[in-house]
Amino acid sequence: MSASEGMSASEGIEYVSYGGEHHLPLIMKLVDQELSEPYSIFTYRYFVYLWPQLSFLAFHKGQCVGTVVCKMGDHRHTFRGYIAMLVVLNTYRGRGIATELVTRSIKVMMESGCEEVTLEAEVTNKGALALYGRLGFIRAKRLFRYYLNGVDAFRLKLLFPRPEPNYSESRIASEDYTNELADGDNLVPYKSCH
Amino acid sequence: MADKRGGDMKVPISPSIPSGNDTVWADVSSLLRLACNDLRSDELISGENFNLFAAMSALEIMDPKMDSGIVSTYYSVDEAIDNGAAPVPLSFDRTIDIQCVIDIMDHLLACEATWHKGGSLAQTVFSCIYLLRPERTSSHALLHSFCRVIRTTCNAVVSAVSDARTNEEEDLFIMAYGLQLKGDGDEKCLSMLHAVEETISRQLKACKAPLSKRRVVEDVEPLQNNLDLEEGYCKAVLCRLRFRKHFYHVLTCLRRPQGKGLELAKKHIVACLSELDSMLKSEEFLRHNCACEISRDGIEDKTTASGCQPVGFDSTLNSRSAAPTPPRSIKLLGWKKAVNYFQKLLHDLDIICSYSLDPVLEYALRFVVDFQKVQPDLVARAYLQFLLVQDGKLYGREPMFVVICKAALLPEGTKNHNIQKNETVVQLGQLLISLLRVLCTNTAWQRRKLGKILQDWRIIYVQLELAFRKEYGDITCTSIDQNVCLKICKNILIWVEEQTYWIALRFLMLGFELELYSPSEYCMVYWYIYVILIKLAEKTHLKMMLNNDSGRRKAKKKRDLVKDMGKDFQIPPAVLLLQCYIYVAEGLMMMLASLRNEHKVFLCLGPFNSEQERFIQHFELLQKVCLPDHASYLSFRETTARARFSTLSMHNCFKDAQRIAKELRANFANDPDRIAELRRIEQVAEHNCVALNLVSRLGTLEPSLKISFEFSHHPHFASAAVKRS
Repeated sequence: MSASEGMSASEGIEYVSYGGEHHLPLIMKLVDQELSEPYSIFTYRYFVYLWPQLSFLAFHKGQCVGTVVCKMGDHRHTFRGYIAMLVVLNTYRGRGIATELVTRSIKVMMESGCEEVTLEAEVTNKGALALYGRLGFIRAKRLFRYYLNGVDAFRLKLLFPRPEPNYSESRIASEDYTNELADGDNLVPYKSCH
Repeated sequence: MADKRGGDMKVPISPSIPSGNDTVWADVSSLLRLACNDLRSDELISGENFNLFAAMSALEIMDPKMDSGIVSTYYSVDEAIDNGAAPVPLSFDRTIDIQCVIDIMDHLLACEATWHKGGSLAQTVFSCIYLLRPERTSSHALLHSFCRVIRTTCNAVVSAVSDARTNEEEDLFIMAYGLQLKGDGDEKCLSMLHAVEETISRQLKACKAPLSKRRVVEDVEPLQNNLDLEEGYCKAVLCRLRFRKHFYHVLTCLRRPQGKGLELAKKHIVACLSELDSMLKSEEFLRHNCACEISRDGIEDKTTASGCQPVGFDSTLNSRSAAPTPPRSIKLLGWKKAVNYFQKLLHDLDIICSYSLDPVLEYALRFVVDFQKVQPDLVARAYLQFLLVQDGKLYGREPMFVVICKAALLPEGTKNHNIQKNETVVQLGQLLISLLRVLCTNTAWQRRKLGKILQDWRIIYVQLELAFRKEYGDITCTSIDQNVCLKICKNILIWVEEQTYWIALRFLMLGFELELYSPSEYCMVYWYIYVILIKLAEKTHLKMMLNNDSGRRKAKKKRDLVKDMGKDFQIPPAVLLLQCYIYVAEGLMMMLASLRNEHKVFLCLGPFNSEQERFIQHFELLQKVCLPDHASYLSFRETTARARFSTLSMHNCFKDAQRIAKELRANFANDPDRIAELRRIEQVAEHNCVALNLVSRLGTLEPSLKISFEFSHHPHFASAAVKRS
């Protein structure tokens, strides 16, 4: 999708779907600036090359002020979306930019057949927790000292409604609960904040 | 991304490595070289197996955030030593030397506490160069003995935690990264420490003696040069040495089998706490006389009592061995916080030592659950687990079958019954052991694990039923008779159900402690707690009713339960207490439901899903194993959809809860913990009663009135607060 196609304006903020290599430095700069976890360029490429349709950028007067980076794939017989990074510049927070960004990603995930969406957030990140709570995420688990700074995380989950009434039973019965550590391939913690 | 040029290349088969049956070794250097020419900096070839973990494992060389090598001061311990980073003695001025040694002791305490709190051993305690090269300090008796006891203590703690280990999340603690945790002669550390302590206490005595008596002790060489400061330094060193000695004793006493060392451990805990007090008292003296210039800023962050930076530490030395994650700089706890940590640890260990090792499972479970409320750290939890389960027995004393018989209220004689050899009964014992272990883990992990083991408990019930039926015929068709076997089977089955509901309840309750529920979800959570509680009360009551013989009364007496238990027409207090909880849960559920129905607050609304999805996600582990049968989102909606304040005031559950709680006080008069719990329940009921009346009277909620639910009186049962904003 080209930048112009994906644009929409609200309060002077333009939202753009990931459009290619020229967006990569913008995403990297923003994440580097706002999040403490160090990501190598390969991590960014892993996401934006495999799932460009799930990454969005928010611009204000030509400046990139927010971004969301996601993935989706099979996870224990479930097709699952995962929000890896969500960042909005400090001075632009509280204007609904993060909600708009993440909503766009979730919509694409839903249209792509995802059954659920997950992410991790620091238990102290009240803003992010409230945002995801409003979108219908529940706090499924608490992960003890998940981040290297010793802070616990919540695993947040959003389950999409299912058309078939008996679907939940069959899905749950086939899930493999034996290996806790294999719970997602995100072995290295991510911070997500907005 | 490697293009056609590479594709046309012939890859030479390497003759130097012999081929196997299915493998051929080939030299791909030239192919690789060509591919490299095609790639620009930062580009990568994405293969099918290139996953997120692979992407995140990439390190950017020379980036200080990722490249652990770049931030090192020295390349090796030897280089650090050659550069004078850890001199022995620390100074030829003996006063400065002793000051520096005390700083090392204090900094090691800060390191140790940071390690216990989740830091890696390599970057904390073993950042001490003296510890890394133990042989170098042999000429310095004080430093040498101190380092040895530190290492031995670390080793003891690592082995306690690794023996008890039940989850991967806290694995970092026991990673020793090939560090030398055990040194030759470490077993003699206490005698070495004792010898040094003796010498210093003689030095202390000598400097305190009046002039006339000084001659007798003249042969005692002072600790350092400045006689005015001698007493202060002797005292500061002594309390630090004695703390280490007693702390080591505490740890070894706690490891004695069958809880035999608990009494002695308690004495050493008292001694430890008193030495920690003395250490805190020495702070002023040390700060006043320290050699370095210190500012008052950030005094809280200082890792020594004196406020000076210690000599002989480099946290970057082990950074290359601190796999698996790239090492980050660890913020050490300040010295005072470290002392506070040890005080807390010792208090927690004291709670363990004060436990009566009650052979009744119910009490053991309650003890662990109550102990978790003080939020013990890993080390204390590991020692509790060691105490609870040893050699497959409760406290290393009670075989699990005996524990189960008691829990199922079976008469004393059944404990030798052959049925304990049945494979499924043995498995049941194993399940109980793993439950005890899980209850000792951190609550976040514990909840997840409890959710999963519910399945095992459901399965074992079915297996037991089959096994019993196979051995003794169809037991469900027979009424209770003299047949002991039948009695055992029936009671054990009921107990398994009761225990399963107990686990489910703990799973739900822990959700509050872990802040997993949002206020809009409280209604469904209390509904679930309510239905689980009803089943639990039902099973507990049934179990007690089944044991209507003299054997049961005897067992009761032994358990020192309430006196009126013998009166069978009365509901037992244990069941009444559950009834009390049922009323509170029901009251909260209905109040929340009415608020939702009438005032449209605390609703689960979202753009992507409905309340049903939240219900499925929160309770999927319970639903999966039909706990309880027929509990579904539909039944939750049916119960709550028509709730109105007008009908609530007719049947006020909170008043019932208050009434029962008051009545129960007499029954639990000898149990201060239960009395405190009853008080909390009464407070919750009282507050909610008032709030309920207020909201009902107002009819419609004024926009300025805000109602919120707080856990101000009880960790699991919320109190409604009505406030004007």
